[in-house]
Amino acid sequence: MRLRSFIPSLGMMLLAAGQAGAEGVLIDKSEIRFVSKQMGINVEGSFRRWKANIVFLPGDLAHSKADFDIELASIDLASDEAESEARRASWFDTAKFPVAHFVSSSIKDVGGGKYEVAGKLSVKGVTRDAVVPIVLTKDASGNSVAEGSFTIKRLDYRIGDADWADPDTVANEVVVRVRMVLPPVR
Amino acid sequence: MDDPETIARDSNRGQYSRTAIALHWLTALLLVGSFTVGLSMVGLPVSRQKLQWYAWHKWIGITVFLVTCLRLAWRVTHAGPDPLETMPPWQRRASVLVHDTLYLLLLVIPLSGWIYSSSTGVQVVYLGLVPLPDLVPKDRELARVLLILHLTLNFALFSLVCIHTAAALKHHFIDRDSVLTRMLPP
Repeated sequence: MRLRSFIPSLGMMLLAAGQAGAEGVLIDKSEIRFVSKQMGINVEGSFRRWKANIVFLPGDLAHSKADFDIELASIDLASDEAESEARRASWFDTAKFPVAHFVSSSIKDVGGGKYEVAGKLSVKGVTRDAVVPIVLTKDASGNSVAEGSFTIKRLDYRIGDADWADPDTVANEVVVRVRMVLPPVR
Repeated sequence: MDDPETIARDSNRGQYSRTAIALHWLTALLLVGSFTVGLSMVGLPVSRQKLQWYAWHKWIGITVFLVTCLRLAWRVTHAGPDPLETMPPWQRRASVLVHDTLYLLLLVIPLSGWIYSSSTGVQVVYLGLVPLPDLVPKDRELARVLLILHLTLNFALFSLVCIHTAAALKHHFIDRDSVLTRMLPP
């Protein structure tokens, strides 16, 4: 079940004052994907279920924010077998840690439609700083499209420990690609 | 048969060329390897070994495709021996049909495996060196269909190889003609 979340918040009030901005996420058009390397081979995956609260105000980044809850058991991989493996204790341990969480602490305008979203990413009981560079564009229907990718080190979060810790089998670096489509605020 | 021209042609074209023979038996060897690895790998628990076997299976499959392209190119430029005069017309037609279908399957099956791999989000890197492009985007439903297609085509190939082998043995041991020996190394 995909959820659509909105924050009836500061954003609305600022928009009422004439700020252009975006809020909420069009879940069906948005995606959280990742590419890992297994024995040198790119292997793609994604998460089917997640929710996000996003308030994006280019004119008021201090009051802009993004937070995500990702249901880790909803992982989409090559096969059912690979997905069950990923839910096990040595990987995400979804029984104990069902949700990964990202919350932004600051959003910086670096020019040219590019932003840097800094925040904390918590997975499997480990919280680390993460910076997600994003590029903001508009699609044909006037939605804002925020696209970014960043690299996490899976071993920082103990994802794939014990037998799977060897980075020659599954690389430590995992590229996470985020594409968020944000409707214009009415 | 007694026509001198026919005899001359038969002596030239009674045997397959060394290249054709080598490529034929190389294909046979690759198929034994690919079937053995392919049937064994699916039952392995998710492990480094499993990833390695899948990689080998794909490398062998791509090699079969390349060798088949070579064989077809060779065949076009170097005609094989004529069918035996002693064979009834229906057998000649059947042998042409089986051979053509075998060639077709040797091209289509590796492609079906490659597309299947793409649809599961797993890149194919030939010999661990040459990354092949993803033919379709990751799609679980499509992957299910393509896997069934790959397995069905392989079942058809296995059946035809059995018929092909049985026919060759029948020619050798029952008809006692040169159909098998002309494909054996000199």
